[in-house]
Amino acid sequence: MTRLPVIAGVGMTRFAADRPDCNPRDLLAEAVLALLADTGMPDLKSVQHGLCSYESDHFNRQMTLAAILHDQIGLLPTPTVRVEGGGATGALALRTAWAYVQSGLCDSILVYGCETNGRGVSSQTANQLFALSADFDWEMMIGGTYTGFYAAMMRAHMEQYGTTPEQFAHVAVRNRRNAGFNPLAQKPMDITIEDVLASRPVAEPYRLLDCSLLSDGAAVILLATEEWARTNIPRFHNRPPVYFSATGCGTDTMRLGDRYPHITHFRAKRAAAQQAYQMASITDPLDQIDVAELYDSYSGVEIQAVEDLGFVPEGTGGVNVASGLFDLGGQLPVNTSGGLLGRGAPVGATGIAQAIEIALQLWGEADPRRQVAGARRGLTDTHAGIATISVVNIFERRD
Amino acid sequence: MPDVTARKDVQTLPTVEGDLWAEFRQVERLTLSLTQTYTHTLGKYSRFFIELENRRFMATHCETCDQVYAPPRPLCPQCLKPTVWLELSGTGTLKTFSVLHFSPGSNADVRSLATPYIFAYVLLDGASTLFPHLLRAPLEQVKSGMRVQVAYGDSPVEHPIHLMYFVPAE
Repeated sequence: MTRLPVIAGVGMTRFAADRPDCNPRDLLAEAVLALLADTGMPDLKSVQHGLCSYESDHFNRQMTLAAILHDQIGLLPTPTVRVEGGGATGALALRTAWAYVQSGLCDSILVYGCETNGRGVSSQTANQLFALSADFDWEMMIGGTYTGFYAAMMRAHMEQYGTTPEQFAHVAVRNRRNAGFNPLAQKPMDITIEDVLASRPVAEPYRLLDCSLLSDGAAVILLATEEWARTNIPRFHNRPPVYFSATGCGTDTMRLGDRYPHITHFRAKRAAAQQAYQMASITDPLDQIDVAELYDSYSGVEIQAVEDLGFVPEGTGGVNVASGLFDLGGQLPVNTSGGLLGRGAPVGATGIAQAIEIALQLWGEADPRRQVAGARRGLTDTHAGIATISVVNIFERRD
Repeated sequence: MPDVTARKDVQTLPTVEGDLWAEFRQVERLTLSLTQTYTHTLGKYSRFFIELENRRFMATHCETCDQVYAPPRPLCPQCLKPTVWLELSGTGTLKTFSVLHFSPGSNADVRSLATPYIFAYVLLDGASTLFPHLLRAPLEQVKSGMRVQVAYGDSPVEHPIHLMYFVPAE
């Protein structure tokens, strides 16, 4: 029998700008209780392994969270491990768990992620901490910010391909609208392209409404062999099996300037996608993928992503995004959850929440207003830095 | 010991219908200020910063791969051989940039910057990579492709990267 993992259950908190009643372990408790409700499990005593997903000791004000969180949710004394990969942490955690199950090290593994990136940290402190994930002496100390690095990339994309602020504003509008159909989303908004263009500049060409959210939240996914899930998950039989069928990971230089002359695209994302597509036997991703969660840390990043993931040819992302190709009802709806722009992004939970959205879509359990009819294969795209580490995971319904 | 100062904020959050957490609706929050101070080494980059005081702009050269790294790399990532220092003229071409309206205040130098400021990526003449730094120029004059050059400052700085910046070429 295959050891390819299935999604045995999911749980997450609503993502929020501020949870004054929750530290990271409180957030995780909520996500795990949601998992119990989702699976019908009374507790986690049958789960064989844990995998802790969080980015920042600084944001969470706690080191060695893996052991603390493992205790919080009753998994002691089973093994655990922490995986960290910047913004890609959640997706890298799932990818690592995939390998743990495939290797036979365990038959079931709970991937638990949480982060407190919300208002418990002032925006200036948040920017300083995120800048620590840039190159300390060569970027951070000059006053560089991630918004600035992404913005410089987007300016190069605009100058090379004619991409416009109106085109990336389409992403800012659509993803926040999609968030309105997701009760767990942080900040649904009904806005127009004009609203985005009129919002204050943060790092030109990006404006406030082009920027994603800082969030508090937690998300968990239980991965297991199908055999284990059938034996241990009471509600597993009620759903079509969704396999975590393929995964890819690529890397790139931390500093944008070291990528010269390739400063308009994410090489790491292309490498990750190629690996995942090969593993999943995908040759025409636009046709063979039904729904995708893309890493829209900034609106224009989604335009770069649809090109790097091979959905549309290089340089045509802006036109194709603006045409509605990736809207609900379009050929390949993306960020149906609201994405990082609308659902929110507590870093360690983000990649897990993206995979939860794909699972809900493939199970046919998303809110009808955002459900993609007949979706059978979905993709998540998650990255760290300016795609310094990039992870592409693919999920498939097989019934 | 970190310098820790605390201010208390206590509130009772409203309970909701069937509240699972009804027992836990009292919430106390503190304002904490944790200060970390480091002796931060510039490591094998050090000569770049030392030479800025002499108004010289240094890169490193991999003689095997003929790559010129600015910012410098002590080890060529292509052939894994140590590089050698090489002085560049400091002139170059602006390749892309962003106009930052929000400063992260990363250090004392950055906190003293007026916003908006221009975060620029410059291909220095003779270099293989883009060098990121501030470009001090009137916004309306800034265009990708413009010629720029390194300028050197005289005022005291916290981080020596601020001993230089870019200006439009003369």
